[in-house]
Amino acid sequence: MDEQRNAAIFAKGLTKFYGSFQALHGVDLRVERGEIFGFLGPNGSGKTTTIRALIDLIHRDGGEALVLGIDPQVDPVGVRRRVGYMPGELHLDQALTAEGLLRYFNDLRGKAAKPADIRRLAERLELDVKQPIKNLSHGNKQKVGIVQALMHKPELIIMDEPTQGLDPLMQHEVLRMLKEAKTAGSTVFFSSHIMSEVESVAQRVGIIRAGRIVEVADPMALGQRALNRVRVRFSQPVDSANLAKVKGVTVLSHENGKEIRLQIEGEVDGLIKALAKFPVSDFETERPSLEETFLTYYQDTTK
Amino acid sequence: MITVFKHTLSRSRGGIIGWGITMLLLGMLMVAFFDSMAESAAQLQQLFATYPREFMAFFSNSGAFDFTTAEGFLSIEYFSFTPLILGVFAILTGSGMLAADEERGVLDLVAAHPISRSGLFIGRYLSLLVGLISILVLGFAGIVIGTAYSTMDLDPVALIVPFASMFALLVFLSGLGLLLSMVLPARGMAGMVAGIVLVASFFLNGLAHINDSLAMVEPFLPTRYYQYENWLAGLRWDWFMGLITVGLAFVALAWWAFQLRDIRVGGEGSWRLPWRRKSAGQAR
Repeated sequence: MDEQRNAAIFAKGLTKFYGSFQALHGVDLRVERGEIFGFLGPNGSGKTTTIRALIDLIHRDGGEALVLGIDPQVDPVGVRRRVGYMPGELHLDQALTAEGLLRYFNDLRGKAAKPADIRRLAERLELDVKQPIKNLSHGNKQKVGIVQALMHKPELIIMDEPTQGLDPLMQHEVLRMLKEAKTAGSTVFFSSHIMSEVESVAQRVGIIRAGRIVEVADPMALGQRALNRVRVRFSQPVDSANLAKVKGVTVLSHENGKEIRLQIEGEVDGLIKALAKFPVSDFETERPSLEETFLTYYQDTTK
Repeated sequence: MITVFKHTLSRSRGGIIGWGITMLLLGMLMVAFFDSMAESAAQLQQLFATYPREFMAFFSNSGAFDFTTAEGFLSIEYFSFTPLILGVFAILTGSGMLAADEERGVLDLVAAHPISRSGLFIGRYLSLLVGLISILVLGFAGIVIGTAYSTMDLDPVALIVPFASMFALLVFLSGLGLLLSMVLPARGMAGMVAGIVLVASFFLNGLAHINDSLAMVEPFLPTRYYQYENWLAGLRWDWFMGLITVGLAFVALAWWAFQLRDIRVGGEGSWRLPWRRKSAGQAR
């Protein structure tokens, strides 16, 4: 039991029903204190349901859950006091300014955040806190959500798609903030659809599909296993059969042998070496969406 | 809880001020009418006497009133219909106390902060009560201010009685709206059902005075216990406490339902009407 309490998040056999529909089929999860844990899964897989059950916004129907050693159904306030949470679907009170809303949230936390810290976070995200929420763009509202989740320096940061709607520079800044929070001793548990973002910050990744954790893996290993699409143009026609022999390669299409579309699972080294034998005039790679990766890689796992 | 109370009150101050000033002006206007109608009050009294009993039943439980007195005049011209207006406010406020923010998705993030569901519920309910009392106080002030410039002879202390009774009715209606918003799938549906109860109660109560077959329904009508006439005789504590008790019982049941249920985002965790179930059942 002590071992379970030492984890930042511990869940065993977590189940949740919405009416007759079972959203979680026994989620088992363990997130260690001080790590950044990526939580991945396609739409409708149960990511948000798991997260909301962990802070008792919804009541689990079965299984066990401990967040920072506390059962969220027994002491939800105790859990929320030590957690910074940002929902995936962020809706903010339109009647307030960003500053007013952050002040309200800080009051709900018993003024746990210092005004200087709130200002510093807002400045880093280039958020004008004087603006009414109703005048803010989607990205700026997202920034308000990020500030409120981080401002009190929580022990555990739970974020559902935190970089959604942010421009690439801001996405990078948010990921840097999460790394800094980890360095300061916080645990970060975040869900994402963007593989590269998870790879760049997470130490471990949990994959959820159809309400079950199908794998907990090292993000690099996951990245290597991910599918890549390649479009190769040749100055002379080539026989695609030669490329199809390379391990992990599937030929998707070929036009007169001068343009070939391939899909490769895992490392591309073998393909590059095989292509070196041909007169390549152009080479493009494209990484399929995480969604697609899930559909292809994990579709059999849950059958 | 205090933070929630102060925030909710601050957020609803526009509505409270708007409804309160309307009631203030309405009170002053009605008292001013009393003066302008005083000269012809006797003729009006005779005119009302010629009206069908069925019509007058909606204005008076007893069917007998004196238009020439402050009590009789205000009972007919003010207190008989104001609960219909303020009842709408009470129902909207009650049904929207949590469900409005929940439907907008705003409640999710608020509830993720270190505040218990009880604290959130009680903070918001206290704000609702303060809002109702503020509007009634402004309505009361409107009449009292009006009498200062009128020939109406009225004891302000006695005037507290119909306002206290109206407060009890509003506690009942807001509690009903709140409870329905916790058990029905949508706030709009909760408001509609509570509104039907209010309007049906008003009409059935009036009809019960002229139709004996409705007598058995009358004890179950909340407006039956609203003391808008004969208030100089003092407050009917049994009626007052009855409305308050049932209203608070609704609130207690709503609190219990709020403890047990999930905070919804996009309808998850709610039950659905049979013909709408097809679209349900997607995890997030």
